[in-house]
Amino acid sequence: MVSKPLIQYLIGRIITYVATLFAAFTIIFLLLKAMPTSIVDLIIESMRATGAVYDPQALIQLREALYEIFGLKGSLLEQYVTFLRRFLTMDFGPSMISFPTPAKELVVRYIPWTVGLLTFTTVLSWIVGNFLGTLATLFRKSKASKVLQGMALTLYPIPYYILALILIFLFAYILPVFPIGGGAPTAPLISLEFWKQVVYRSFLPAISIILPSMFGWWFLSSSTLTLNVLSEDYYMYGELRGLPKSYLFKKYVLRNILLPQTTALALSLGGIFGGALLTEAVFAYPGLGLLLYRAVGSGDYGVALSILSLSIIGISTATLIIDLIYPLIDPRVRYR
Amino acid sequence: MAALSRTRIATSTITGAFSRVWRTSRKFRIGFTIFVALLCLGAFSIATPSYYKNWYYFRKDTPPQLTSLDFLLGITTNGRSVFWILVNAIINSLAIAAVTTLIAAHLGLFIGMVAGIRGGWVDKVLMFVTDTFVTIPGFPLLYVMSMVLRPMLTMPLLGLLISLTSWPWPARQVRAIVLSLRERDYITVARLSGMGTGKILASEIFPHLLGWHLINSTNTVLYSIGSEAGLAILGLSILQEDTLGTMIYWCQHYGALYRGIWWWIAPPIIALILLFISLYLISAGLQEYFNPRLRG
Repeated sequence: MVSKPLIQYLIGRIITYVATLFAAFTIIFLLLKAMPTSIVDLIIESMRATGAVYDPQALIQLREALYEIFGLKGSLLEQYVTFLRRFLTMDFGPSMISFPTPAKELVVRYIPWTVGLLTFTTVLSWIVGNFLGTLATLFRKSKASKVLQGMALTLYPIPYYILALILIFLFAYILPVFPIGGGAPTAPLISLEFWKQVVYRSFLPAISIILPSMFGWWFLSSSTLTLNVLSEDYYMYGELRGLPKSYLFKKYVLRNILLPQTTALALSLGGIFGGALLTEAVFAYPGLGLLLYRAVGSGDYGVALSILSLSIIGISTATLIIDLIYPLIDPRVRYR
Repeated sequence: MAALSRTRIATSTITGAFSRVWRTSRKFRIGFTIFVALLCLGAFSIATPSYYKNWYYFRKDTPPQLTSLDFLLGITTNGRSVFWILVNAIINSLAIAAVTTLIAAHLGLFIGMVAGIRGGWVDKVLMFVTDTFVTIPGFPLLYVMSMVLRPMLTMPLLGLLISLTSWPWPARQVRAIVLSLRERDYITVARLSGMGTGKILASEIFPHLLGWHLINSTNTVLYSIGSEAGLAILGLSILQEDTLGTMIYWCQHYGALYRGIWWWIAPPIIALILLFISLYLISAGLQEYFNPRLRG
């Protein structure tokens, strides 16, 4: 069943995966190394200047971790090795925002919120956006498609965090229907009340992500792809044969645009950890974004670097997975 | 004399191209009009009075009044005129975007062209670096870098930082275009007639990339303004300077929305949205002009 070329392909792909991870971390190592040497002292100085009171123990540990991360300790090789070790294990010392807790633990605690929100919104807007985009292009003479097109052109360029601000303005200030912010639900995990609170809390953030991606990005990209299919000879032939529109839609258009769109979906799922950080910060939604916002406010490098490391690993793993399953969904690509 | 006529020809082709794009695409017309209107608003910043930076110069929280320019958009909680903050913010945001575009768009163009035309190990090394940068997610890298550099951040430096994450994609695309051009006959003829690589790039390949470069530059401006605003919302931009992003940051910081000071938070958001839509329409219009297949 498992052929030799398949194994070769798998091994080759996994080697590339490891190589890209290393290369990405090396680039970050070099970038941080290129910083002025006094930067650590400057950072700690500016943290003190904000007037916040820090545990002296925390400051010592922070300085230690920062010296290692910025490559100011030991020989070049040692620096590189400690740096890689810290990035791959996501061990960046204790967090500043809640002191003895390690930054990694803090990040892991916030992950489910982010992953839950973004997986749901990404998949939903992918399905609906592609469907609408294809239909609107097939029937582009109709009024409804014109409206959708105009909407897409307006929504697509607006960053999701700006949209988030507008939504807060409309639905939390003018019409106080939804909460302005707030932490995690307080009800116990396995009760209906808990899930009600989750939905209530994540409704506006979800809308602010869904609108630009469903009616913006997925709509526009599937519309462009459909336009390409429509100008192909085989489509014209199918139309001349008098095939029903629904058949053309399902077999001729949808199947052809699904392929590139699946790749794009997997990529945006991989980008979840670095994705909508700002939405969560704006809505005070208890996910990685809010954590990051707090970390930035108090100069917590451990948390910030953990999220960076997480998002790099996330996106390269997603690319790996796409490449591994691509031959399964595209009959034209066999394992080479 | 010859140089003069050459510049005259250049200007006439540019104006000619402009009027052709203008006539072809309605998107371009709308986008360009909004953009110029915003630039005109930003041009008011030349007349900025020196007191605009002073806190509590005016009575705070004054709603918009039509009495003078100072009061046109109301007063912030710090007693500063929103109008003057806004016009300066527009210009500063565009300045950061201009730095990014100058660096990132041209760096991407240069690296892509060199990798495409030279091939071999130069191509391999450059593309490996580019691919690695593509793997690193842009925004997280950006916030870490600006967190590190926060104590010494200036506007050109911020532009440089944003460039760091916005050159790799253009480089890849330029390389792909150059690769498809490289094997054309006229390039071979140019090479056989003793033209150097630099000359070939400049006079035989670059003209084909011009339209693409223009579109990409517009997109880079868009990306840069968006990134700056994003960083600012986290509190990572240059908070003492007025940009559209920092304006939003301070509104959030002082809870402008919850106190009902809508005239402080609405202008930067509206300006940003108009800026984004206009730039996107310009870019889409240019795309329609250069690629008639999209006009559908």
